[in-house]
Amino acid sequence: MAKSWYLFLVPLLALLSLIEFYPLLYSIYLSVTNATGGFSLTNYSAMVRDPAFWTSANVSILYSLSSTLLAVGIGVGLIYILAQDFRGRRLCEILFILPMAVAPIVVGTLWSPASVWDDIQSFMHFVLGFHYFDELTPLFYFPVMALSEAWEWAPLIMLVGLSVMNSVPRAIYEAADLHGASAWQKFRMVTLPAIFKSPVTQFVLVLRFIDAMRAFEIPLSWANWVGQPNTIGSPVDTLSLFLYKLLFIPSFGFPIGLVSAVAVSLFGITLVGAVILLRLLGAIGGITK
Amino acid sequence: MSEATQEKASPVEPTRGAKRLKRVLLYAAATLACLYSAWPLLVMGLEGYSIDLSPFFAGRGVRLVGGVPFYSGGVFPSPIHYLDALVIGAFPRLVANSLIIAFISISIALAVGIPVAYILARVEIKGKNIIAYLLLALRTISPFVVIVPLYITYSRIGLYDTYPGISLAEDMLVLSVVVWMLRGFFADIPKDVYDAASIFGNTEAQVFRRVVLPMVIPGIVVTALFALVLIWNEFLIAVTLTGPSTKTVAVGVWTGMTENQVNYRSVNWDDLNAAGTLAFAPAVAVMLSIRKYLAKGFSLGTAR
Repeated sequence: MAKSWYLFLVPLLALLSLIEFYPLLYSIYLSVTNATGGFSLTNYSAMVRDPAFWTSANVSILYSLSSTLLAVGIGVGLIYILAQDFRGRRLCEILFILPMAVAPIVVGTLWSPASVWDDIQSFMHFVLGFHYFDELTPLFYFPVMALSEAWEWAPLIMLVGLSVMNSVPRAIYEAADLHGASAWQKFRMVTLPAIFKSPVTQFVLVLRFIDAMRAFEIPLSWANWVGQPNTIGSPVDTLSLFLYKLLFIPSFGFPIGLVSAVAVSLFGITLVGAVILLRLLGAIGGITK
Repeated sequence: MSEATQEKASPVEPTRGAKRLKRVLLYAAATLACLYSAWPLLVMGLEGYSIDLSPFFAGRGVRLVGGVPFYSGGVFPSPIHYLDALVIGAFPRLVANSLIIAFISISIALAVGIPVAYILARVEIKGKNIIAYLLLALRTISPFVVIVPLYITYSRIGLYDTYPGISLAEDMLVLSVVVWMLRGFFADIPKDVYDAASIFGNTEAQVFRRVVLPMVIPGIVVTALFALVLIWNEFLIAVTLTGPSTKTVAVGVWTGMTENQVNYRSVNWDDLNAAGTLAFAPAVAVMLSIRKYLAKGFSLGTAR
């Protein structure tokens, strides 16, 4: 009886073998072979000696840290607004989740210096009287790039936070009312701790961080906006974009071994994240719930 | 005067003025947050019509010239960029490609994933945790580990730039999402339903087919729509494995628009914005229609 259920796992394993296991093993194989087909670690040593790799690794870490933190900050702000009771709250809720539905490659275009930032520039210059600032300096465009990533994913933090908030027992809020707590105090002392102590939130945050570590589309757009689509090691090159440029810019000569080595290393990094995810999943109650 | 005495009477309670100030602040914050969320999309949609809002801040834009409103925003509003995207940009073809790829990909994911999701939610068999954890771990894989070998293999066996090839590859994006989301929908069905159905002598397989599956069809629709948006928005796998004949919307919006440019000042922004609007509008519409389930989808079923 129970054995027949295993039959249903066969298609899954077949599909996964085709699109995950086989390519993964192939990548590992490519990363440890040299041009003549023998085993060697030259790809990895070339990777470690490549300054562009280290720049991209740093950019990736800075990018995912800053965009995740920004998303948390913005998400908490959105939760605070939606935790209040006011007319138009439902409309706000709908508008707030819009960014999540937009393709990342379009988000890269939305937040480009020519669209939204053009308006903000004009507003700051003509209405507030600031000087025009140069959009092509990393000090300007890196934060904006991280902000656009946060713009897209803050609604996710918001949704998860709201679902956790709704599971907080009403009695706690009533007790806070009895002690004369203000709305802000209740939010800061009850809602926020509940949200960030919940393993569900932590799970989503780690997932978001891992996804940001692989961020590709938004940095790709920015590489074009700031005029660096054909150079590696620029301040917009995340690890994924570094790989993409190595692969698709002909002058690098399709360095398949190096690309595989970097990809496998990136895989190793995200695997650490996956282990953390699994532990959090255990705390949530896992799949047996 | 009476208001002032009231305020003195109850110094602990917030005054009416303070309450009103709080209201005003709340509405201001809500408005600001709404603008922040929707403004970029609005700007993109308008700039597709060559309506550039920034001159308004410069005191130009629309003003009265001899009593007649006169627009001096640079370019006159026109639908030409949308028409260009639809006709020259071959947008209908891109949409068809995206939908075909999504259809094949989601069909495979559902056919493979529905029984697995049911097993994860309801059936006690050994090793099912391994399956669940495997799917989660695969969700975190960098696509580059997979697409480079797939690109080489596809080129060799002729699957490059074909619907089956790219659809299979997109399954690495949606398969885990489909299984985890559906698992949640199966788990939401009360246990009594299973018990009641098996009392009438149904086998486990019959319970699944006759009782559980019909109940979970709305969940399947939601899952399919969610996966559809994921594939519609997906760029990296598509740009690597599709060629001229299977290009998807996300790829089509980007390539062609950004050729021969030095930096953002040399891009044809109106065309890019029109195409971008056509790309995000359907995705936003679908996502809003299933917005109750977004938390579930994006958190792999952990949040509800």
